[in-house]
Amino acid sequence: MLEIKNLHASVDGQEILKGLSLSIKPGEIHAIMGPNGSGKSTLSQVLAGNEAYEITSGSITYQGKDLLGMATEDRAREGVFLAFQYPVEIPGVSNLQFMKTAINNIRRHRGLDEINAADFIKQAKAKIAQVNLDPAFLKRGVNEGFSGGEKKRNEIMQMLMLEPTLAILDETDSGLDIDALKVVADGVNALRAPDKAVVMITHYQRLLDYIVPDFVHVLAKGKIIKSGGKELALELEDKGYAWLGIEEATA
Amino acid sequence: MSTLNTIDFGVAANSQLHTALKSFSAEKQAKLTEWTIPTRKTEAWKYSSKRLGISASEVSSPASDNSPDNAPDNAIEKAYAEAYSLDCDTLIISNGELTQALPVIEGLSITSFSNLNDKQSKDVACGAIASADNLMFADLNAALLQNGVFIELAENKHITKPFKIVFQQTGEGNSFPRVFIKLGKHSSMTIIEESHTNSGLSVTAIVSKQNTAILNSVTDIHVSDNAKLTFLKMNLDETAYRHIASTGVSLMRDARFNSYCLSLGNQLNRHDLLVKMMGAGAECDLNGICVTTDKQHVDCHTCIEHIAPNCTSKENYRCIADKQSQIVFNGRIHIHRDAQKTLGSMSNKNLLLSSEAEIDSKPELEIYADDVKCGHGTTIGQLDETELYYLKSRGINHEQAKLMLTLGFVLEIVRAAPVIEIAEYWEQTLANILSYKL
Repeated sequence: MLEIKNLHASVDGQEILKGLSLSIKPGEIHAIMGPNGSGKSTLSQVLAGNEAYEITSGSITYQGKDLLGMATEDRAREGVFLAFQYPVEIPGVSNLQFMKTAINNIRRHRGLDEINAADFIKQAKAKIAQVNLDPAFLKRGVNEGFSGGEKKRNEIMQMLMLEPTLAILDETDSGLDIDALKVVADGVNALRAPDKAVVMITHYQRLLDYIVPDFVHVLAKGKIIKSGGKELALELEDKGYAWLGIEEATA
Repeated sequence: MSTLNTIDFGVAANSQLHTALKSFSAEKQAKLTEWTIPTRKTEAWKYSSKRLGISASEVSSPASDNSPDNAPDNAIEKAYAEAYSLDCDTLIISNGELTQALPVIEGLSITSFSNLNDKQSKDVACGAIASADNLMFADLNAALLQNGVFIELAENKHITKPFKIVFQQTGEGNSFPRVFIKLGKHSSMTIIEESHTNSGLSVTAIVSKQNTAILNSVTDIHVSDNAKLTFLKMNLDETAYRHIASTGVSLMRDARFNSYCLSLGNQLNRHDLLVKMMGAGAECDLNGICVTTDKQHVDCHTCIEHIAPNCTSKENYRCIADKQSQIVFNGRIHIHRDAQKTLGSMSNKNLLLSSEAEIDSKPELEIYADDVKCGHGTTIGQLDETELYYLKSRGINHEQAKLMLTLGFVLEIVRAAPVIEIAEYWEQTLANILSYKL
């Protein structure tokens, strides 16, 4: 589904990713761990199409297509979804309007009619209940005045609404209490399907107690330096990164 | 083109007017005989004088032809009237004249200036918007006074159905409509002021003919003790028109004034809003949206005079300028020495959508009382790249994302407009103006 080969990316002239390669097949869940400053967020931003990041070499193939050649919105329409580490507040645009516009953009891309208003509301209410947020949040400005945990739940709500093929979660578990963490995990587990894949970028092994990954990768200095099964995460939790020869950057 | 002109008013005041009004008009004539068209050096017109582009005599000549033959094009008026549907009573002032029968509404007396009694005439003369440098066009309107409409809401009367006043102007001449609104004690109502202008000429014809038409309207408002006026104003003007509107509001004890003004761009759209807090406990809440595109121009001057103590004023104006357009916002709060315990706040946020657009914002606080709370905030910025990226990352295309963010910038105010039909119409209108063509 996703094939990243020798990816080099930089921001503001500084190279962050230095030859990253990763292969993801449908149905898989991959966890990417690594110390601060290793390039985890850069990877997620590059996948979603943030224009602030410059790709200097390498390639990303998504479902047989050149992902880097696609505009941000086209990637989303083709099923790529990034749950932001820092979701953006947009006052004046309601969550409902935001989601409806997004869904209709995606539906149009797939040659479908616009969503029926009643169906949409029903769906939105169901999904917001699923992430344990008050339905009143639907009418509020996107993330406007939301707490950190509410923003993360809102990201998961969007993910459930848009039903992506490839979901990338950028530290969605950071700063969450245990209830919110379960909500996030339930959301991801609900998405799990043979034709879908998930990339979880995380700082903590804790999330992996709730979502069992097929693969765990360690990202350091812009490259994946070690890959393994879920037991690798436990090992990292125990020993830190030093045994892999990495010094943790002080962020 | 000369800018310094001695004006020969030539027109005698309407003989049917009451003496009080005749002398009021004559006073303004005397004051304006040596009037100069504002220039860049006139502070209140610094950024807008160039948009006038006409001489003092041109600006003061009455409409060229107000004969019935030149009556407004009904098709145009019909289109304006059908722009949105709203159950309301409507008063139309066409080219400064009353051409239709006045609406009859229980509790609301609507009288032509020619039929005013002693007291009403004095009310109009005394309650007229105060003279000031930036209000010279209101003075000009008074100097050329021919007729107007006096609207009075009886004490304790509450009218829920909105009342709409339309300043209509067609043809190439100027017009000087004037309205005086008085709310009796403990009464309340909602007034919508709209301008509908159409020269019947194409834009190119107007530009090549150097059309000088100005719609110079004045709305004076007197809100008596404990009464409440909700006021919505918008201009539906032809792009090549110049529209100078002055609104003067006097708030007596515990009176409330809540305004929502949508200013759309044209050759020159100038709105002066002056609110005088005359009685203790009065409150005003002024909301405004200015949106321009192409080579349009909007100039909004607001001034809140805190004269009595314990009054509260709130002001929230949002401006969006696209392409080569320009918006001027000047918000003044003047707290007089005796206006202790005043609460005043002003917010003005501005969004520039193009590198060629210009917004000039000037908040002015002048405070002479020593026990007040008064603050202001102004921001000018462009669309946030991170917000755009966030929307696009959910599949929304670039143009639509821009429109959502741009509309979102003003929707908070639009949606707060207390007449839902108007709020919806404004939202639609703004979406049309701001829609980005690929």
